[in-house]
Amino acid sequence: MINIFKLKTLGILGCFVLLTGCTGELDVEPGDPNAFLADDFYSDPSAYVEGLAGVYANLSLTGTNGADNSNIAGLDAGTSQYGRGLWNLQELTTDEALWTWENDPGLRELNRDTWTADNVVLRGMFGRTMTSVAFANEYLRQTSDELLDGRGVSGSLRDDIIVYRAEARFLRALAYYHMMDLFGKAPFVTENDAVGAYQAPQYTRAELFSFIESELTAILPQLKDPLQNEYARADKAAAWMLLAKIYLNAEVYIGEDHYADCLSYCEQIINSGYQLAPNYLNDFMADNDQGLSRQEIIFPVVSDGIVTQNYGPTTVMINGQIGSLEQNGEQFGVSAGGWNGAIRVTQGFSEVFVNGSYQNDDRNTLITENRTINIPDVSTRDKGYITAKWSNRTSTGEAGSAIEIVDTDFPMFRLADVYLMYAEAHLRGGGGTLSNAVDYVNALRERANNSSRITASDLNLNLILNERTVELYWEAHRRQDLIRFGKFTGGAYNWSWKGSTANGIAISEYRKLFPIPSASLAANPNLTQNPGY
Amino acid sequence: MRFKLKKRFLLNPGKCFLSFIVFALPVLFYGQGMTVSGTVTDATAGTLLPGVNVIIKGTSKGTTTDFDGNYTLQASTGDILQFSYVGFSTLELPVSSATMYVALKQDENVLDQVVVIGYGTTTIKDATGSLTSVTSEDFNRGNIVTPENLLSGRVAGLTINTGGEPGSGSTIRIRGGASLGASNDPLIVINGLPIDNNTIGGSRSVLSTINPNEIESFTVLKDASATAIYGSRASNGVIIITTKKGGRSLQVNFDAQIGINTLRDKVDVFSADELRALVAEQRPALLPLLGNANTDWQDEIYRNSITSTQNLSVSGSLFETIPTRVSIGRTYQEGLRLTSKFERNNGSLAMNPDFFDNHLKVSLNANATFAKNRFAGGEEANAITFDPTQPVYDVNSPFGGYFQYYNINGDDVLDANDLVSDAPFNPVANLLQTESISNVKRFYGNLKLDYNFHFFEDLTATINMGYDEQSSDGYVSVSRQNPLSQSDGSIVGSESNYNNYQRNKLFDGYLAYNKELGKFNIDATAGYSFQKFESSQYVSGELLNDQVDSEPILTVDTNLVLLGFFARTNFSFNDNYLLTLSYRRDGTSRFSKKNRWGNFPAAAFAWKIKEDFFPESEDFSTLKLRLGFGITGQQDIGRTNSDLFLQRYVRGQPASQYQFGDQVIQIGIPQFRNENLKWEETSTYNAGFDYGFFNDRITGSLEGFYKESKDLLANAAISDGSNFSNAGFQNIGDFVSQGVEFSINTDVFRPADRGFSWNVNYNATFIDTEIKKLALDADQEVGGISGGTGNTVQIHRVGYTPYAFYVYKQVYNTEGRPIEGGYADLNGDNIINSSDRYIHKNGTPDVTMGFLSNMSYGDFDLSFNLRASLGNYIYNNVNSSRAQYDLLQNNSVVANLPVSVLNTGFNTTEDVILSDYFIENASFLKMDNITLGYTIPNLWSDSASLRISAGVQNVFTITDYSGLDPEVFENGIDNTLYPRPRTYLVGMNIRL
Repeated sequence: MINIFKLKTLGILGCFVLLTGCTGELDVEPGDPNAFLADDFYSDPSAYVEGLAGVYANLSLTGTNGADNSNIAGLDAGTSQYGRGLWNLQELTTDEALWTWENDPGLRELNRDTWTADNVVLRGMFGRTMTSVAFANEYLRQTSDELLDGRGVSGSLRDDIIVYRAEARFLRALAYYHMMDLFGKAPFVTENDAVGAYQAPQYTRAELFSFIESELTAILPQLKDPLQNEYARADKAAAWMLLAKIYLNAEVYIGEDHYADCLSYCEQIINSGYQLAPNYLNDFMADNDQGLSRQEIIFPVVSDGIVTQNYGPTTVMINGQIGSLEQNGEQFGVSAGGWNGAIRVTQGFSEVFVNGSYQNDDRNTLITENRTINIPDVSTRDKGYITAKWSNRTSTGEAGSAIEIVDTDFPMFRLADVYLMYAEAHLRGGGGTLSNAVDYVNALRERANNSSRITASDLNLNLILNERTVELYWEAHRRQDLIRFGKFTGGAYNWSWKGSTANGIAISEYRKLFPIPSASLAANPNLTQNPGY
Repeated sequence: MRFKLKKRFLLNPGKCFLSFIVFALPVLFYGQGMTVSGTVTDATAGTLLPGVNVIIKGTSKGTTTDFDGNYTLQASTGDILQFSYVGFSTLELPVSSATMYVALKQDENVLDQVVVIGYGTTTIKDATGSLTSVTSEDFNRGNIVTPENLLSGRVAGLTINTGGEPGSGSTIRIRGGASLGASNDPLIVINGLPIDNNTIGGSRSVLSTINPNEIESFTVLKDASATAIYGSRASNGVIIITTKKGGRSLQVNFDAQIGINTLRDKVDVFSADELRALVAEQRPALLPLLGNANTDWQDEIYRNSITSTQNLSVSGSLFETIPTRVSIGRTYQEGLRLTSKFERNNGSLAMNPDFFDNHLKVSLNANATFAKNRFAGGEEANAITFDPTQPVYDVNSPFGGYFQYYNINGDDVLDANDLVSDAPFNPVANLLQTESISNVKRFYGNLKLDYNFHFFEDLTATINMGYDEQSSDGYVSVSRQNPLSQSDGSIVGSESNYNNYQRNKLFDGYLAYNKELGKFNIDATAGYSFQKFESSQYVSGELLNDQVDSEPILTVDTNLVLLGFFARTNFSFNDNYLLTLSYRRDGTSRFSKKNRWGNFPAAAFAWKIKEDFFPESEDFSTLKLRLGFGITGQQDIGRTNSDLFLQRYVRGQPASQYQFGDQVIQIGIPQFRNENLKWEETSTYNAGFDYGFFNDRITGSLEGFYKESKDLLANAAISDGSNFSNAGFQNIGDFVSQGVEFSINTDVFRPADRGFSWNVNYNATFIDTEIKKLALDADQEVGGISGGTGNTVQIHRVGYTPYAFYVYKQVYNTEGRPIEGGYADLNGDNIINSSDRYIHKNGTPDVTMGFLSNMSYGDFDLSFNLRASLGNYIYNNVNSSRAQYDLLQNNSVVANLPVSVLNTGFNTTEDVILSDYFIENASFLKMDNITLGYTIPNLWSDSASLRISAGVQNVFTITDYSGLDPEVFENGIDNTLYPRPRTYLVGMNIRL
């Protein structure tokens, strides 16, 4: 019996120990070797640059585990990529590109300008862009003076962090710029708001405009001088470019004339050491992060077939431009069939090259043989012209590191754009000189080995729009350009499949802005839908 | 559930009178302690029964019978002795003399059967909640590879949908599930150990490593009053599995079964000659691309295959004191799909001795399983569309002699540039040139100690410790003769391997108190439960590529710890009015400190109406009312979401880095977090009647339930910019499901001494589910389909069933043929866009039914079971994404189509893929199994017998659905499935 009592006592004692001991087990910590609590992550000094890289990476990566992994819901991982969303919205909605695979959700509506607030590509872009804001805010929160003091961060790292913070604010301003341009409004969240489900107030286009303007102006002193930062990190020129962009489009955004401001920032960039790469096509190759393209690209989004894998704009364009008939992928460093003729251009776009003075121009990459200029049916891949601007081969002909995901970086901002912005701002009354404007246009033609040059009398807005098409197609500017030139909505310019008909019809004015995605609207009642949707 | 019903002893008026006399007489001697002893025998077989529980009613005092069926205990005259044994009806006898010989009846009234419930046992008769028990004698027969199939179609409210792969897992739903974004899987408890519902990578399914032959009984707990004792994990119901225990007398059991799996049906596509004619008619430009062969690619990727199982168990008393059962089992099953295979070997040990005069009962169960899987990748879609005019083999092919689309470019290197771009690979070569093998080891077991306190015998303390550990190690190897290319385009084959590990540890401790006070009986239990789950995964990455993006990755899941305090009290008055109250307080490591504790109360009341109103009636033999209410929880949003409340940063894997200058920077980004996550709560109301007629020759129950889940855990849109994603897990929305369940068991013919007997069992369940609230009423698009990247065809919308189909309304011409791209402009804005989609049907059945028939005549027995499902619809994604003429051209090659294209004449997938034309009624009636058996009793001794049987599995399916099989997964989206084989089986069973 004594044994029994001992057993019992031990048992009860054991129960008691377990009962009290185990509630503590409810406090768990991440077990994964790659996961950390925020404080543990930032206990390592190198985390500050890694955290900043995380904010930048949202422009390129969709998650932390490869190209098929996404931290944005509602659409396929690849389509949720920042640059891809931007490209889809700025290009597919225009004459520059038609997406063949219309059963990919949302893309048919973009091709045909019939999108609704339920469109998944819109939801993806809205979410991806605002996630950039969230990442930047979190970086600013984690690098507050208070936290840095607490973690004992000092010396040169502390100085570096001042620059890092300015870059994070640049990236946040860039995201709000895209929101302003695409959706005309945004939930306004800063580092002072709590992480969770904060239902941010809605900022109008004008409020966003003045925030971006003041924010960029404020960070300029901390940003590194042009071309002095590491490649792919923002410097003063990137901020000037963004300022120039909002001023160029200020009439659209806020109904104000800021062409002079635009022109003055263009001049600053032009005078800060950037140069056109000698060969136009080198800007769009697998080594465009190296050599002379480096001197032309003001702000790139990085891609790499091994270490920075994503289905972003360069991977989409290079695989997408491969012709269904031509099977010409090998020439561009991807599989022979690429994505089987995913992207073609409309008749309106092709005619700029065919009928203008761009027949013999390096920028004319149209492939027309055995193809018709028109596309009577979107699903008929062998009709309509294709292009050959982008490549996953280097300027010396070496193949990229993988055959689907490309090494080619996406030049979000480059000097050629600045030249044309200068010329346009000048024509719109922003000052500068006519001769400079003409020279800039001719510099682009010269670089492209186009023997046709313009004179002062040739320079007009129509020419600028055409020159922008020829120089900058597929670089995610087109919708913005067409809106600024009054040709996007209405019937002033009807390209093929605009409004869902083969010859194109007018579309309503309200389509200058995209709708707030239904899911985003539902999750934040402070947002209001754009008119017309 | 039991089907053979016999007269209830206590309700026989003659016997009642007798028992009154027997009961009244000893009152004279009441209070005098005495030693009662005797033996317990099986009333039918006459054999002695070891291990029978003998307790004094209303106390915990008692004993069990020994090896020879003997028992001895101290009792008083006037005490009532309860004799109970699993599989036998409980008998209550007043202590009348010092020697009591008792015969227990096997297959006796179902209502007296002991059933295992959470942290205890009860009988059907005294159960207050909604539960169904099925024991080994009543399990489904046939080719049962995974345990859940023993139950398929047998329990009202329980649906089990199993795939066609060998060892395949099942979607198990009790009353349709209660969650939207969290798991809908029921909690499965094996010998008191709740198991992890996550299938370890490399294993076929959670239950595939458990040999069905080890299982003694299932109890399915359906309503909250029964499940709430499991608190936070009980919203989707509970399935309690009890494994076989040791006996005292030596018994040897050997089972063997062998069968042949055959292909029952194929997707209807064009034959080679039909395709030639079709191409000539529809796309003559493609004619030069056709070959000269006649291949049926579906025939080529499937085969007839073998399935076999053997089980040997020996049960007896070790050293004459320790009842022990040891068993070994082997299952070997080849799949229909070439190379696919499942092999399982397991051994188990059960010991259940008693010590210290039955005060300490020990129950040890240990089970080790070694499973070997060979996985065969899904080639169905490829075989459906692969050009039938091309041969399987090609002597000139550089790809191992298999036909492939290639185009040697002459650079002397065989790489991706020598392939016809984007052409499919030969499906037969893909199967035969890939070796994907995993070895899974699983050990699970528990040690349970029940200590009945000396000097305070009303109280019993129980400790149950459980352990479940699984590990898998596997590899995937693709031959270098397969055209598969690496990311750099080289063709060198592919090699990778992986290891997965998961472990789950349980500690339960509880006290049970049982006391009878006059007409009152109190039975109370209170305790504590602790469980911890750990898991990790290792993948080697591509071994034939030395780039940084193919480096090994180890993923470790954050531990999940669950602990709970629970209590339950059963009060009964006069044995006619029964009240159960239970309460559980649960904590989970999944939620932040302020939200991690949840309370889950339940109450149930039962009233044996018959005893009050017409106690004498034999025609109306049972009528019991049951009412229950309870709140249960759900927190299972997957192992990878165990720490969403923490401020986590994750570093990028090698393929997800950023570059500054020439430097590759390992990124670190914050993860979605929600500090406000909390339990999802389901309130269940249940009301039912248990009935019995003609001395319970007909029994059954009718019940209705109403379940309301609130604070649903779902991955839903979150205010953009407020978090590190645009969506994440939140508590959003309400969900309601309600239904009616009906079951009936009856002996149509009762055996008059080995004459013709026929027992049938039928159950039907009507369920209706509706989303009542979603966060801010926002729709959620769900239901990914093939055809397009990321396309969806279903929606969650307030007011509708979850996973409702969300499609365009097809417009038809005057001949009734669908017009391609002709969608109705439902909102009348003259634009056909996503605003014109509407909700049309869903994949959830309105009614499910099960029917079982057992017949026997002499030594022959014949049984079959049927399952039906009504009102379930399928989106036929096989046709919607493939049956269009444009797809005859797959880039540079010709592809085959489903013949349904002839009915529609559709050309372009994009124009039709979301048409409601592809939504079909998939109601069905299936015969799962029919088995004929013959038993030779008294083989060479009285207790030795041999049964031989022959049967067919997957006998027939009656349906209007045009696809391969109307029983699909993914909430009603059919995008090809591993065909379920029809299996012809023979088997034998020897008992000694």
